[in-house]
Amino acid sequence: MGCAESLRVQAYFDGEIDAVSAADIERHAEHCAECRALLQDLEQTRTAIRRDLTLGRAPPELRARIMRALDQETAVKTPRPSGWGRSTWRTRPFWAGALGGVGSAAVAATLAVFLLSPSLTNPLLDDLVAAHLRSLMPSHLIDVVSTDQHTVKPWFAGHTDVSPVVADFAPQGYRLMGGRADYLDHQRSAVVVYQHGPHVINVFSWAASQRALPKNTTRNGYHMAFWKAGDLEYCAVSDTGWDELLGLVRLLRDLSARDARQ
Amino acid sequence: MPHLNAAYRFARWLAHSPGDADDLVQEAMLRAFRGFDALRGSDVKAWLLAIVRNCHSTALKQQQRRGFVPLPEEHDAQDGYAMVATTPDPESVSLRRDDERTLERLMSALPEEHREVLVLREIEDMDYREIATVTNIPIGTVMSRLARARAALKARWLKEAEGERLGVR
Repeated sequence: MGCAESLRVQAYFDGEIDAVSAADIERHAEHCAECRALLQDLEQTRTAIRRDLTLGRAPPELRARIMRALDQETAVKTPRPSGWGRSTWRTRPFWAGALGGVGSAAVAATLAVFLLSPSLTNPLLDDLVAAHLRSLMPSHLIDVVSTDQHTVKPWFAGHTDVSPVVADFAPQGYRLMGGRADYLDHQRSAVVVYQHGPHVINVFSWAASQRALPKNTTRNGYHMAFWKAGDLEYCAVSDTGWDELLGLVRLLRDLSARDARQ
Repeated sequence: MPHLNAAYRFARWLAHSPGDADDLVQEAMLRAFRGFDALRGSDVKAWLLAIVRNCHSTALKQQQRRGFVPLPEEHDAQDGYAMVATTPDPESVSLRRDDERTLERLMSALPEEHREVLVLREIEDMDYREIATVTNIPIGTVMSRLARARAALKARWLKEAEGERLGVR
């Protein structure tokens, strides 16, 4: 049962053998009906699997959940003595790491939101929180670093589908840090990043749709303020207080209104 | 997070439920993060998937200790089939587009050691060396196991098609 060359034929099919051996196998297959059939089978199986069995991408909720847990890790990792990780984590139960330390309540809250209330889940809100969390990871915050609106705004033109209002509001306490492109709601959205005191505020913007804009809400401790200006929809996300967040929203709305009049 | 999607896909094929898969991925990402300094070489994807796999076996062992008995893997006895088609009519066994659930079911029913090499080779498009890294077996074993896995899938596939033709389903 089975040609002696079948393993080599498989290796040939998988691109695992050199050119000389490959020529060898091709010659062999010309004369061996069994190996020709094998090659056909291998191809058929691969085609079927690659066509039908792509489970795709990690869901955004899972992504956000992991980000959150990693954030906690980052927060608690630094002060630990250096020998800690290797020797003990293997034996620690899975959740001990993620739930230990100061952030346990926040992680639990995140999980509760994602696991217990699927019916309340609006994918856009999840995406926004996930994107905000991701932005807080080291080196994810800003693609173009600038406090100058004339640098940030043209950058968006080349990297996103929209062109939001951008200005530095440093005198009012909202310092422009830069911009970032993010994938949101099936389009490339523009994110303008502001700093207010120690807090980062991400202002997302995307092309307006027919759908009703979500109401201002709080998720996992992050406030989200929505508004519409012109043909764009905006959402500001941050862990600042509502007053501070809405202060920036007011400034941006005024700016959009001024732009529209010009 | 690089290779999160690959980790997720792999976990979905290893775990018993989507919820288990989520937990598995999260644990693996945390472990990977903690052990990042220990990463040697540049093959991050193989390294990460190996962690997913280790987390999976750890979870299984814990479940067994707690008295949870998973369904027994199907016995290997029928997996010794040659990969050669035994039917003269290969067209009739080719799966239809709308029949992807069948293939998914057949894959899920494979013994885990077969399923994982197939997933790594065909879905994650890894070479033998990378598969050896993930599964912690020699390359020669990767080769023979992959052959057996493909033969097993093919055999089940033919059986399925046969049943369909006879209207047994």
